[in-house]
Amino acid sequence: MKRAMTPVRPLIVSIDDASSSRLFFDRIAASMDVEPVAFPSAAAAMPLLSERKPALIFLDIIMPGKDGLTFLQELRAMPMHHDTAVVIVTSKDYAQDRATAKSLGVMDYLIKPLTTQTLREAIVKVTVGAPVTP
Amino acid sequence: MSRATVRFWGVRGSHAAPHATHLGVGGNTSCVEVRAGDHLIVCDGGTGLIPLGNELLAQREIRELLVLFTHYHWDHICGLPFFVPAFLPQWQLKFFGPGQTASEIERHLSNQMKAPYFPVETGNWMAAIEYLEPSTAGLWYGPMHVSYQSVHHPGVTYGYRIAVGGKTVVYVSDNEVDFMHAAIEQRADEFSADEREQMTAIAEEERDADLNFIRGADILIHDAQYTPEDYTKKRGWGHSCYVDTVNYAIDAGVKALYLFHHDPAHDDGKVAEMHQHCLEIIRNRGAQLLCTIAREGLVVEL
Repeated sequence: MKRAMTPVRPLIVSIDDASSSRLFFDRIAASMDVEPVAFPSAAAAMPLLSERKPALIFLDIIMPGKDGLTFLQELRAMPMHHDTAVVIVTSKDYAQDRATAKSLGVMDYLIKPLTTQTLREAIVKVTVGAPVTP
Repeated sequence: MSRATVRFWGVRGSHAAPHATHLGVGGNTSCVEVRAGDHLIVCDGGTGLIPLGNELLAQREIRELLVLFTHYHWDHICGLPFFVPAFLPQWQLKFFGPGQTASEIERHLSNQMKAPYFPVETGNWMAAIEYLEPSTAGLWYGPMHVSYQSVHHPGVTYGYRIAVGGKTVVYVSDNEVDFMHAAIEQRADEFSADEREQMTAIAEEERDADLNFIRGADILIHDAQYTPEDYTKKRGWGHSCYVDTVNYAIDAGVKALYLFHHDPAHDDGKVAEMHQHCLEIIRNRGAQLLCTIAREGLVVEL
């Protein structure tokens, strides 16, 4: 018997301590052909990220425990994630943070408040024509 | 509990302001001691650290201390090269601040003491130096427990919450309060009604998280650098308008607020004027908050 092939959807991860931010992400991602997973902290995301390479990670900066930029520095040291697409989503609109994020190879740096369209475009950018990983 | 006090050694933000017109408040940059018996925690190493170091040489009870750095901008570390106890072998100094590891903290603090910027490197210090590893559980120093979290300022910047003998001192020298609410108002045209609602919910949640960090503090030492006029030009510079600071302290149920990180452009008269407005805001809100200007030399009993 032949089994039907289930298309694998690109994994999109959001790491943000604010539940309302994760809800904003969930609502947008739910309307797109992606696999969205949201975490409230860097530590909570690590088990998944140690096994899978997402098509995109949305990452907040100010969070309890480890801040986003420190976490990104650690993530880049992992061979699997040296080039994982990361978009910072933060209310920190400062040149110093932008420069640090740029040095860590982020795809974009988005400032809260932001529109639905801004977040959607970031997902489209990495998912259209991109290879997916299970 | 042994006697616990807070003493302000440096209260100025951005850079020192040693002008006659400013000395009623003080010209040295950020440095505040929290002392419980013979245990001494120093918050930040601005130029206020220099007179503190000199005074410590005149006593014998304390030969060890912990310095907590909120971040490594110059006004918070520039007293360290002139902190005499670091050059004396009988002293034990512990340092902590933002960084992934103790060696990263060491690197950040050592980089300012190198040629051609300074003639003596940290390797020449004779005190026993220990850089503390980060810990999500916080730090214990004698009877004092220190917890910390990131705040709204360029680069990784910590606020510190110090608990001692049932009292709490919160030190947040550099923090831009309510940045996101202001941004939503300023960019209102960009958002649909639904987006505005969602963004407001995010801003409220982020504000609540900030409030929780300072909630119920007996003493809050907080950035109050700008006037509303300053803030229209310097929004996004990482400092608070005093109006936002005082409302933030009231909303968090703080008992006593110390206006801190005074702008070097503000003389004694200007700071007094800002303080009077704070008192008016507190009266108008019917709040019980005590509000005081952080002045160099001021000692507060906990």
